[in-house]
Amino acid sequence: MINELLRLEKISKDYGPNTVLKDVSFTIGQNEVVGLLGDNGAGKSTLVKIMSGVVPMTSGSYFWQGEQITNVNRTETERLGVETIFQDSALVPQMSIARNIFMGREITNKLGFMKVKEMDAIATDVLDSVVTIEGIKSSRQLVQSLSGGQAQAVAIARAVHFKRSLLILDEPTSALAVRATEALLAYLTQLKGEGVSSVLVTHNLHHAFQVCDRHIVMNHGKKILDVRREDTSVEELTAAVVEGETGVKRFREGRF
Amino acid sequence: MATKKLDPLIEAPLTTEAVAVSGRRMSDSRPEGWINKIRYNLQFVRGRGAFEIGIVFVAIIVVFSIISAVNPKGFPFLKAENLSGVLTQSVPMLAILSIAVGILMVAGEFDLSLGFAITFNAIVFVRFTDMFGVWVGVIGGILSGVFIALVNAVIVVYTRIPSFIATLGMGFFWGGASIFINGTNAALLNPELTKDGNPFEFIFAHDFGTFRSQVVWLLILTVIAWFFLHRHKLGNHIFAVGGNSAAARAISINPNRVKLLAWTVYGLLSGFASVLFVARIPSVQPGGNATADFTLFAVAAAVVGGTSLLGGRGSVIGMVVGAALIEVIKNGLILAKAPGFYLQLFVGVTIVIAAIFNRFMEGKAS
Ligand SMILES: Nc1ncnc2c1ncn2[C@@H]1O[C@H](COP(=O)(O)OP(=O)(O)O)[C@@H](O)[C@H]1O
Ligand SMILES: [Mg+2]
Repeated sequence: MINELLRLEKISKDYGPNTVLKDVSFTIGQNEVVGLLGDNGAGKSTLVKIMSGVVPMTSGSYFWQGEQITNVNRTETERLGVETIFQDSALVPQMSIARNIFMGREITNKLGFMKVKEMDAIATDVLDSVVTIEGIKSSRQLVQSLSGGQAQAVAIARAVHFKRSLLILDEPTSALAVRATEALLAYLTQLKGEGVSSVLVTHNLHHAFQVCDRHIVMNHGKKILDVRREDTSVEELTAAVVEGETGVKRFREGRF
Repeated sequence: MATKKLDPLIEAPLTTEAVAVSGRRMSDSRPEGWINKIRYNLQFVRGRGAFEIGIVFVAIIVVFSIISAVNPKGFPFLKAENLSGVLTQSVPMLAILSIAVGILMVAGEFDLSLGFAITFNAIVFVRFTDMFGVWVGVIGGILSGVFIALVNAVIVVYTRIPSFIATLGMGFFWGGASIFINGTNAALLNPELTKDGNPFEFIFAHDFGTFRSQVVWLLILTVIAWFFLHRHKLGNHIFAVGGNSAAARAISINPNRVKLLAWTVYGLLSGFASVLFVARIPSVQPGGNATADFTLFAVAAAVVGGTSLLGGRGSVIGMVVGAALIEVIKNGLILAKAPGFYLQLFVGVTIVIAAIFNRFMEGKAS
């Protein structure tokens, strides 16, 4: 049995009168890559924001290595070593790449003055690792001058640099070219060996199937499937994502 | 720069730790030789506020100097008293306000009550000086600036009404408050203080012949503001919140706290400028135009210097050069004996052109 890293229990989220998540429970194990799948509007991004502490849950519990975290916020999740690549990238266009990567976590001297050269150099190194994107000239370039894929690479670099225990990726490959995508997926597998778990939200089920140890499928704010890779197939995942609960049922009945 | 090869990454993706000692592809493109280095660094300066306006400023100084050299009687721009009056007295006052307003604008905020606040701070300064002595007066004037700014800040940050509206209302309030505590007569600074040789006069209003005290304050404050905004992490947070506050929050920066900080810095600088204002006049008139004009001139200076009205963009050097540009043009028009309305026409056109130009350059910045 894998040791648990993060466990969510009966998470619900309302936006005004709309219930976006309803009683969602699951566990992310240590050294595990988990795929979070589902159609548009299923609630994946909301779940990601709750896991990373930027959006409060309406009800439910958050356990970290078995211990309940009562006040889940970004400061707390940062302390736990959770880093997230948000779907809407969360970058400041008017700031340089390096300033974006170190935003809120600047390398400073004792008085709080930034070590700009050091930040630029590390940003360059981080950008050259994991997903290398062509056309970025310098870490001093403004993010507003980057293409969608390049900006996504910056968001990835930032999360990768600061992650310590859990990396959450919300559709990180949507603007990436094929090779960069492959590099990122390979990196997730490698991270597992280094003791860092990840949660991958993606629409590409083949990608998910290729790297994830387990798959969670969301549908209209509910968890409808939670299976290990050995117990499922791309076909079943497709049915679950496209048809929802009936898809899961049809598939499971048809098979057993 | 050389094309990057991805193959090694796919086989064995590098960790960040590993990369720290391995190949640095992006930095391979670092230029050699000083010409290339300048050219390389220039691309990161273009379109960020200070560079283009600096060129315009130098061009205007050159043109004015040539005219003045050809016609020293009709256009005495280069005369020592004139240069010292403009560059070391008029410019510092507006430039300090421009830095104050500019930092606030970078944070995505805006203050329409500045002119009224200057009057109020100045009255506090004069009254405190009468009651407790000049140094307590100076501190009182500065703290008054901070207080007024924080009242605006609390209203704007916690009610989320636009700062445009909140400060419009508060401006009228402080205008009324000035008359309430002072009456409609001018508040006069104790004349002893501005006599030659008085320490207050020496520090805040002395004429050294080629320059005046106030320019020293501008230099000091420019350096401090530059290090704060461009090199301190708190300045970095101001850019982050002004540029995209949702992104800043997602990375655990508290936007409200950062906005309060920006307002505080603004209050310190505008309070200090209020003291400088009285030091050179040396009085303040409630309801007068002299202070009211600063509200929009300070914004104009910041915008001319490349500060974005939408937040997230601006540079301290640009703010100072923007103020210098406006004051020098003003001076040129006065020397050319242009009627007052020319000044308004010219400043108006300058602001609009600068705003359009900045918008254009923002897109080009890399
Ligand atoms: N801030 C918000 N306010 C109101 N409704 C929201 C908000 N964010 C998301 N939603 C709604 O929640 C549902 C789930 O959204 P989301 O979590 O983004 O889904 P997914 O990432 O799976 O596509 C959608 O119906 C969306 O409209
Ligand atoms: Mg989403």
